[in-house]
Amino acid sequence: MRSIWAVATNTLKQAVRMKIAVVFIILLIVLLPAMGVSMTGDGTLKGRLQTFVSYGFSLTSFLLSLLTIVVSVYSLTSDIQQKQIYTVLTKPIRRFQLLLGKLLGIILLDVALLVLFSAVIYAIIIYTPKFYKASQAERAQLDNEFFTARAGLIPPEVDVKQEADDTYNKLEETGQLPPDVTDNKISRENYKKNLEQSIKLGKRAVAVGHELVWEFHNVKPLDPNQSFFIRFKYDVSVNPPNLQVFSNWFAGDDRQLKYGAKVQTPIYSFERKDLIRTFHEIEVPADCVAEDGYLAVGFFNALLNNTVVIFPPEDGLEVLYKADTFTANFIRAVFLILFRLIFLACLGILASTFLSFPVAVLFCLTIFFTGIISGFCLESFDYLSKNLSSIYSYTVRPIVQLLPQFDKFSPTKFLVPARLLSWSLLAKVAFSLICIKAVLLWLVALLIFSYKEIAKVIV
Amino acid sequence: MEYAIETFSLTKIFSDWWGRDRVYAVDDLNLQIRYNEVFGLLGPNGSGKTTTLKMLLGLLYPTKGKTLCLGGDVANPKISARIGFMPEESYLYRYLNARETLDFYGRLFGLPSKLRKMRIEALLDMVGLKAVANRPIGTFSKGMARRIALAQALINDPDLLMLDEPTTGLDPIGTRQIKDLILHLAKRGKTVLLCSHLLADVEDVCDRIAILYGGKIQSEGKVKELLQQTNKKQIITDYISDTALDKIKQIVRDEQADCVITSPMDKLETFFIRTVTTAQQLSSPTSGAISTTKIGHFLAPQAHPENILDELVSTSVSPEVPSKPPTTKQVIPAETPEPKPDEQLLSKLTEQAGPPESKPVVGTKPVEPQVSRKEDVKKSILDSLTGHSSTQKAGGEQTDKPQAGDSGNA
Ligand SMILES: Nc1ncnc2c1ncn2[C@@H]1O[C@H](COP(=O)(O)OP(=O)(O)OP(=O)(O)O)[C@@H](O)[C@H]1O
Ligand SMILES: [Mg+2]
Repeated sequence: MRSIWAVATNTLKQAVRMKIAVVFIILLIVLLPAMGVSMTGDGTLKGRLQTFVSYGFSLTSFLLSLLTIVVSVYSLTSDIQQKQIYTVLTKPIRRFQLLLGKLLGIILLDVALLVLFSAVIYAIIIYTPKFYKASQAERAQLDNEFFTARAGLIPPEVDVKQEADDTYNKLEETGQLPPDVTDNKISRENYKKNLEQSIKLGKRAVAVGHELVWEFHNVKPLDPNQSFFIRFKYDVSVNPPNLQVFSNWFAGDDRQLKYGAKVQTPIYSFERKDLIRTFHEIEVPADCVAEDGYLAVGFFNALLNNTVVIFPPEDGLEVLYKADTFTANFIRAVFLILFRLIFLACLGILASTFLSFPVAVLFCLTIFFTGIISGFCLESFDYLSKNLSSIYSYTVRPIVQLLPQFDKFSPTKFLVPARLLSWSLLAKVAFSLICIKAVLLWLVALLIFSYKEIAKVIV
Repeated sequence: MEYAIETFSLTKIFSDWWGRDRVYAVDDLNLQIRYNEVFGLLGPNGSGKTTTLKMLLGLLYPTKGKTLCLGGDVANPKISARIGFMPEESYLYRYLNARETLDFYGRLFGLPSKLRKMRIEALLDMVGLKAVANRPIGTFSKGMARRIALAQALINDPDLLMLDEPTTGLDPIGTRQIKDLILHLAKRGKTVLLCSHLLADVEDVCDRIAILYGGKIQSEGKVKELLQQTNKKQIITDYISDTALDKIKQIVRDEQADCVITSPMDKLETFFIRTVTTAQQLSSPTSGAISTTKIGHFLAPQAHPENILDELVSTSVSPEVPSKPPTTKQVIPAETPEPKPDEQLLSKLTEQAGPPESKPVVGTKPVEPQVSRKEDVKKSILDSLTGHSSTQKAGGEQTDKPQAGDSGNA
């Protein structure tokens, strides 16, 4: 343990004294406040802060990622190249201890820098509103939509497979299947899929004079005295006059009505007129959520309208509520970066067990950038493997799956729209990125390094 | 457990990436180095000395055969904790300063911080770099870095010391010091493996040597047996008159033998050391290494070195100090024929530098604590140097001189 610590502090000293870290530190210390002042976003206070968080976090995490790659690769490759490792490994230290010490040193460096920079970003975010004049409404908006951590609930996708099957069977029995299907021009499978689609769409469509109710469970607002938000977007079958839809919304525990008991929690209703195809939010007092976290949200397509209203899948309707404080969310977002850096440190150490400095850096950068666009990579590989043999999908696909998904869990994705980054999600990311991917890298590195002939010169 | 180092038909073949171009760096090498032996591995450039060492230390894996160090595998921390290694070049961290470097290596051995600090100071003192201990190693000259590499190898007070060309880049005093150190360590029962092609160095200190060529042992044996010319004799005298010389010549001629008479030359080494110590005494400024002939006190030969180490670490030193001289007095006449009063003084002084309780002892001597102690040390260095070279060489030169005389004769 003592020797691991010795190596770790030595690695830290190396990074500090060789001034590898200094460049990054200066860059960030200069850039961050400059960005805080110069970025205006859409002109509102909220827009300004959102832009700053977005760029500040991206820049910090990007530069620290580069730093981690360079330091972790340099630390081991320079030891091997300049042969200090001869004097180190001949001391009573096991090889895994040496690698562990290096990793520990790099993580310590990362933690120190991350704490420093996130503190700077945090301070700028907190103090910016105090320096700018803004209307009361703007400040309220800031509090509700930025300085918060809102959990979003999407109505669960209904499984309509059974329903589609039933419909299909009924059509078949009554001989009402369209001729294209009976002639085998369209395969039965495809027809069933189409049926499913249209049933699903039907569940999100509301005809004039009709009502649609969504039920949510597990709604846990941080403070019942505050509000939650119903965020929605309309699609229509026919464009209404002025592109506006009249509606009645209500929110509350509708079970109370059904059983005829006395109303215990309030039920709120709203009469509205909204533009189609843009997002709107209805602020609702949170005390209407039932004790057990139940909440029903209803939409009534007013008789004044002339069109069917459709809520698009995925983001058509969402209930947002304040689930945690901004600070807690911020801290978790910083952890997200730390996990990323730990992964990269393991990657750098792995690469330097068998590659020379420039090649190892290149290797790590490649992985890093594919990680940044992992969504795209995964999709394109999925698309490819659909058309290729199963051998392909059993060999390349798992490897592609092992790529880190930095874009999917980017901290700005949570902080900019003030979305809750829950501990459980954080734990999930930690598990997949560190417990599985980083540990895997680590084991491979250990395997290579344990059997490596240290003094063997590779020209 | 008879041997400190043992190799069994050790072979190392280097091949390129394609498996071609095979180099037999070490070829079927069987080395057996006993405990408490100073073994010299000689050979021209590229004969496989370094490769052998690397295999012994587990930095390279043998193509065939195997090695044992201290009866075990060097990968075992218990074994490697007892080994000191000085590579052929000083591979050190350039951004650490001298003290931090030694501290780092000390911590790799898991030495407790008190012991570590003491040893670091003693070693810095010994290699003469105390004054520059806070400068980064990257700014050191080659020889200065070499001295740190040596100190690094000694920080764990190793039982087995492997030195790969320890004297390259060192000035003659450093060289002399390393040789003295090796002798001291041997006296304390340590084993030393020395790789070098500086024959004079090897000759002075090694008990046994092996000469490698092409990765194979060409010749192996005790230095004395290999080098002694039994059919020649040398007589060294103090100044005697010409008539006495003539008589001697006559006697030799009567024996039907040839005889050459010259005044022995001072070794250049002795001359150099004398010059530098004089300059040091005049305290000419230097930003380099201060030459000393000190041996780190924990490495110096003592009656019970292990106990002394413990004593030094324990805080209650003052009652122990007076009891030490008797033990050393008992041993020195028995083991080493030449008395070394200066060294006793020296080691005592360095010991006292550590704990603050040592003042009462200083009080018994006419030596003043801080400032004048340095001068005193230097004086004793000079004494020991001059005393050293005269007393020790008396033994060494008997085997040394005949060759010089003979080559002049031939
Ligand atoms: N990593 C390596 N790859 C290929 N060949 C090597 C390697 N290391 C050493 N050799 C070869 O092995 C032989 C022995 O080298 P080694 O370094 O052991 O010599 P040495 O006796 O220490 O020489 P010197 O006195 O110059 O230090 C040389 O021919 C050298 O070219
Ligand atoms: Mg060599």
